[in-house]
Amino acid sequence: MSTIPSEQKQPDAWIKTKDSELYINPLPVRIWHWLNALGFIALILTGTQIRYSNLFNLMTFETAIKTHNWVAFAVIANYFVWLGFYLFSDRITVYHPELNMRKFFDKAFKQIMYYSYGIFRGAKSPHKVLPHDKFNPMQSITYQIVMLLVVPIQFVTGLMMWDVKRFEGVIATLGGLEVVNTVHVMIYIFFISFTMIHAYMGALGHTPVTHFREMFTGFEEEH
Amino acid sequence: MVRNTSGGMRAVQPVLVVCFLCCMVFSSVSFALPEEQTSVAEPTATETAATETTETETAATETTATAAPAAEQGAERTAEEKKVDEAAARLEEKLKQNNKCLKCHNKERTKLLEDGKEMSLQIHGDAYISSAHGKVSCTSCHSAIGKRKHPSKSTNISIATERNYSVEMNESCRKCHRQKYTQYKGSVHSAMVEQGNTKAPVCTSCHNAHAPVSMVDYQAETGLPCKNCHENIFNAYAASVHGQARINGNTIRDSHIQAPICSDCHHSHEVTALAIGDVLRTTCIACHENVTLLHNQWLPNAGTHLDIVSCAVCHAPFAKRKFDIHLYDNVAGVPLAMEEGDAPIQEQLQAIADEGGTGDPLEIWKARGGVVQDGQVVDISLRSRMEVMSGVAAHQIASKSFAVRTCESCHEPGWRKKQNVTLSVTTPDGRRQSFEADREVLSSVEGINSISDFYALGGNPSKFLDILVLLSLAAGIAVPVGHFTLGKMIKEYMARGEK
Repeated sequence: MSTIPSEQKQPDAWIKTKDSELYINPLPVRIWHWLNALGFIALILTGTQIRYSNLFNLMTFETAIKTHNWVAFAVIANYFVWLGFYLFSDRITVYHPELNMRKFFDKAFKQIMYYSYGIFRGAKSPHKVLPHDKFNPMQSITYQIVMLLVVPIQFVTGLMMWDVKRFEGVIATLGGLEVVNTVHVMIYIFFISFTMIHAYMGALGHTPVTHFREMFTGFEEEH
Repeated sequence: MVRNTSGGMRAVQPVLVVCFLCCMVFSSVSFALPEEQTSVAEPTATETAATETTETETAATETTATAAPAAEQGAERTAEEKKVDEAAARLEEKLKQNNKCLKCHNKERTKLLEDGKEMSLQIHGDAYISSAHGKVSCTSCHSAIGKRKHPSKSTNISIATERNYSVEMNESCRKCHRQKYTQYKGSVHSAMVEQGNTKAPVCTSCHNAHAPVSMVDYQAETGLPCKNCHENIFNAYAASVHGQARINGNTIRDSHIQAPICSDCHHSHEVTALAIGDVLRTTCIACHENVTLLHNQWLPNAGTHLDIVSCAVCHAPFAKRKFDIHLYDNVAGVPLAMEEGDAPIQEQLQAIADEGGTGDPLEIWKARGGVVQDGQVVDISLRSRMEVMSGVAAHQIASKSFAVRTCESCHEPGWRKKQNVTLSVTTPDGRRQSFEADREVLSSVEGINSISDFYALGGNPSKFLDILVLLSLAAGIAVPVGHFTLGKMIKEYMARGEK
């Protein structure tokens, strides 16, 4: 890990300080993650209410739309907490610990094998979590696609539908409101299963609550 | 005073005549329309003889006071004075002539027309003389009938029908009321007359040529003259918030503005069909100027709603609604108006009308889409608006507190399927013709590209996406449950193996 500053590899890493190797989730990341989680749940619920107003009546259509809009803007603002933190700190390496494709695919395969077999035998994850190498290859690739492609597309399509008149030129260029909406709905569909599977995989730590606690405290728990 | 000089004696006679005539003119003018006064007071070089005469008469009225002292002093008559005298003489002559006409036409007389019906020739002299037209000579309009050419048994003027005569005489109004006449010629009424519609109004359908009164004097509750043809629509209006406010004499927001009557929205002469394009919305906003602001306070995408949903759809809460699809000229930014000889669409529409079936807007769009006009392919699309089903419904505007504010009335799944769908075209005469259309077009894949502005959030009927939602939800449950179960099974298997 050539990118990790040597001073962070201290023998007293067990001590829970921000310099510790166990400090894997800095405060901005934790704030962003949990606000984003709440936002996503609210957006999925209100989005479902908007789309299927005849199936259940959690709130009126008007409330659903307004809540969806407000929460969406909060989530967009929160996105910049995430983006800002990673752009202006050295932690951006968690997404690109090593630019070696061969190694990447090798590690990815090992990770898949771990989740589909090893984990049941009580094996340890092949990926060692470190502050600057937090994600296993599967997480790294998934989160990059989600945060740099899927989420921005969702923001942009949502923004267009928030004020159709203001963005009518762009909407027309993209093929009309129905096209923009279809893209927005497709991503909503993706996030339904993504959120559920993400939460399940969060429970695959040493104990079901290990990773959840880590996401609150910021420190990895040693076993 | 006038006895002092012989010159004065010569001048006094016309002056007296002018004074006398002035009294008459004043009394006539007091009955005249404000509009008529304006037109009389505006001298233009190209005015017709009749207008010029009227102008001079008014001038005579104004200059009489100065003419008298001039006569007293025996000064030389100016050109202007001569003009006044001539005008007075002409008016006197005209009235004499009119009196001659009225001698006979004051009585009950009829003329047998070619269609076998009788047309009344009676003019109520008192009403005529006291009207705004009282100082206009009969022959100004009836130029075909003069002193020496009055029809007799041998020189009978043949008239096919009374309607034909009215249409023919319409032209004579233009002589004095050029501006109004031009406005009328641009109206849907005039276009219908020109197309041979025998019920569309000409000038005299609304204005009695022989006893014109100011249209301002029409009372809102009578609905005349519009009600003569548009009775159902007027009744709907009369019961509406507008009609009630007008009848009760309420003013808008304590200002001097009264609630609108027919002509306030439709104009009195350049009558237009408001259902076309944005005309209606613009008309509403003319009074309700803060409408965008008010809707913005609560309605998401207010601008788009105001563009796509006709005001009456929400403000006439009990009206039946429909999706109306029309061809839209993307270059000009207006609904496409059919032109004479617009063969493909005319044929399609004719086929729809003949078969009594439903039209396919997509077919019509295709037929029209590739047409080359002036060397350029016309860029048109199909657009849709939410409208109310009928003109009557469009006038049933209720008080704001009754307006529809439940979004679900439009934004709910399956909503599109319940809607009436029409295909509208703007006909060459400026009216809108609606045909029932096949509602399948709303969920057509092809429609996504051709029918823009079509999407009602939550009303999307795409089953494909609904299935994907279910699949995603199923995956969100199945993956954790499957993985968990698999793990348990493997652990159990291994535990058994260890034993």
